[in-house]
Amino acid sequence: MKRLFIALVFCALPSSAQVVTSTSRGVVIAHDGRVQLSGGWTADGVENATAIVAGSDRVAVLDALNNEAVIADLATGKTTRVQTAETPIAGVFLGRDLYVLARDARVVQRVVQGVVHASGVPLKDAPEARTTPVSIPLDPDPAFLREANGKLYVYSRTAGTLQEIVNDRLVRRVRVAPFASDFEIGGRTGYLVYPREARIRTIDLPSMKVTGAVAVGAVPVDLAFAGGGTALTARILAVADPSAKRIWFTEGTQSTIEAVARGFVRGFLGLGLFGSRSSQFPTGVDRIVVRDKIWVAYDSSSGTLYRFTKSKSSVIAKGIAPQAFAVTSSGGVVYWKDGTLVAPGRER
Amino acid sequence: MKLALVLLLVSGAAGSQPADVIQRAESPPLHAATNRIASDFEIAQMEKQLARSQTFEAQLSGRLNLGDLRASRNELSLARAEYMKAYEIAARERLEARRDSKLARYANATSYAALAQAKLGRDARAFELLEEAARYASDDAETWNLYASAMRILGHPRKAASAARNAVALATKPLDIAIDQHALATALIESGELDEAQRLLVTVTESLRSSKFDALKREVARGESFEIYSSARGDVAAYVSLLNRAQLRLASLYEQRGDPDRARTQYQRVLEARSDDAAALAGLARLSRSDAERERHYTEAFDANPFSMSLVREYQRYLQSHKPSVPSAITVQRALIQLSRGENRAARETLDALLEKFPANETLRTLRREAEQAPTVTLPRSNPTAAELRRLLDDFERLTPEQRAALDRTTFTSNAVFASAQVANNQTTLESGTIDGVPFRFSEPMIFAGTFTANARLTYRILGVTRAGDTDALLLEPLGVQP
Repeated sequence: MKRLFIALVFCALPSSAQVVTSTSRGVVIAHDGRVQLSGGWTADGVENATAIVAGSDRVAVLDALNNEAVIADLATGKTTRVQTAETPIAGVFLGRDLYVLARDARVVQRVVQGVVHASGVPLKDAPEARTTPVSIPLDPDPAFLREANGKLYVYSRTAGTLQEIVNDRLVRRVRVAPFASDFEIGGRTGYLVYPREARIRTIDLPSMKVTGAVAVGAVPVDLAFAGGGTALTARILAVADPSAKRIWFTEGTQSTIEAVARGFVRGFLGLGLFGSRSSQFPTGVDRIVVRDKIWVAYDSSSGTLYRFTKSKSSVIAKGIAPQAFAVTSSGGVVYWKDGTLVAPGRER
Repeated sequence: MKLALVLLLVSGAAGSQPADVIQRAESPPLHAATNRIASDFEIAQMEKQLARSQTFEAQLSGRLNLGDLRASRNELSLARAEYMKAYEIAARERLEARRDSKLARYANATSYAALAQAKLGRDARAFELLEEAARYASDDAETWNLYASAMRILGHPRKAASAARNAVALATKPLDIAIDQHALATALIESGELDEAQRLLVTVTESLRSSKFDALKREVARGESFEIYSSARGDVAAYVSLLNRAQLRLASLYEQRGDPDRARTQYQRVLEARSDDAAALAGLARLSRSDAERERHYTEAFDANPFSMSLVREYQRYLQSHKPSVPSAITVQRALIQLSRGENRAARETLDALLEKFPANETLRTLRREAEQAPTVTLPRSNPTAAELRRLLDDFERLTPEQRAALDRTTFTSNAVFASAQVANNQTTLESGTIDGVPFRFSEPMIFAGTFTANARLTYRILGVTRAGDTDALLLEPLGVQP
């Protein structure tokens, strides 16, 4: 009976890579070797779009399989194609520059107007190539790249270290713990999520010191900020726990100064959504995207996309690829399915 | 629950999967009589395993191994069907594990789903699944071993090496460490980093042969284990398979780096454990010191796995400078020798007989296509050379109607050697023979006025192709015979 039941719910996800992001000029989709601004330009993209990075005026599509990136100008759709080091899995725009994390080469590369600098050797001979090249060796398995206050932070998963990069130089490094599944920065604090340990660790970024660890749920996997973070309120963390099949809401850390200002010191408070026994997501969710008041959760095992609040959840769509959805600046949810960009709120 | 131990290996230089023996054909008519192909045993074992146990590990490893065994025999559509089944099993397990909140199981099933996708050539989906598994189980050596294997299959050895390094760093059991070091060495070879690869393979092989594994070696001996699997269940099967593949890879590396003595030693060690290993036999053939030894090893390699395309290509290169006699048994080797001699028609017949037995085999289909792809047929000149007659014999059915008409009108003259010349009453009866080695015969025994020996000058027309004994022959209409 069990196997029959499983056979009934088996569903297929799209086989080709597709990524969606929201930008200042609208939604950008990379799919089938193309990159396009919804309702605007279309250009040649990469063969396998595995990640997309949005900046204020540009967007970068990464192809981790073929070590390639295409950077598109949001206004014109003009693109620049660059070869990257091995396995570009993440990137951030910092001013005019794109920084790419090439995991299997264990480097961060800086792309200046289409020129990649890596390992001290510019790949293309252009005037920009004479600027200081980036050559930042990283610890094994660098998995997450984040930016805060003009600084870059790289968490290396199997090494369990956090490295801080300022002005293209590695300036500090702290050993935290290996095998985190997510790394996010909120204010002055870095948060690392540990599925096996059911724990979140915090790092005070100004001092680059581990400040604490707290148990959250059964298998926490992904984290997003769901409000707070003001002078009067601590940051609220939303933590996806597919084992418990729920989202946990937890107060994030606060500095001593912030705590004193509020008159008391708070620790972590793990609060499951919908009460302790409910499981509002049938197979559990493992990705969360929060933008203002729009909260979206995603189940990677079935490709199901949910909208949720603190009191309820509802299915938006099924059979969606892991990065084929986004929350827009106007507060809508969009997703790419069967070759079409769908905006559920606007369908009606 | 996971597979007890997983060993992901890709076949070596000349089709390392064990293989077959194809018996001598009874003739005529030609037919392919086949003994056991060496990998038949593993296939039977896997089919038994699939029938006996419904557990995830048994079903998954069964399908993956069957796919790899089929692939080693170049039965690609059968292999693909097995990989599809493996993916479906893993995909169901993912959902089931997720529903049961067993996320370690989920991560493991996700890795195997990725591996199956990689074997199906679906790189984007494989990558997506591998990344998903790593989110949950980046602390698990097996996850990274599977990541490395999938990346290798998809042709990304540097990514594979990076993942394999993680696996090596995380593995704790000696056998697991050896498996992951082997995976890393393999990725490094494909990345062109041979020095580190060689050091690793020496470490792995010496470790496996050391006293550290005495207990396992005793179990291997007790169970007379010899089967080679890509996804091995249990330490004994993993040990046997790993030792085989690590030695093969090291031998191949030594060979590549110009150290034939060490290469030979490693190949011979492989054969000590399993005498019908095609890759080791092919390796020894390449390193042979005499043509006789080389031909013997090639024959043994073809007996072991006649369908290894790399072995076929290697042997074809060898045949460019060597002319062994055509074996009587209906084998791939026979077809290759026939092709090398320009006997395309005969090769096609050999291949057709084999295809009847192995209809899904891509090696046979490829060779059959190649046997068809002769250049445009040209008619022989009036005093034809042996090569012209041979080409006509091979390609007679490809003549256009216009060429047939032209052939009917053409008279040829050649020096013939008749099989017999029976003289009686100043008349000579002649029926068949050869022209420069090309067989021919008349439609029936013909009586010629005069006395002729077996060596005569024959004037004739060519009517078609027939059989003379067990070989193809030109069917000739004699117009005259001169001493």
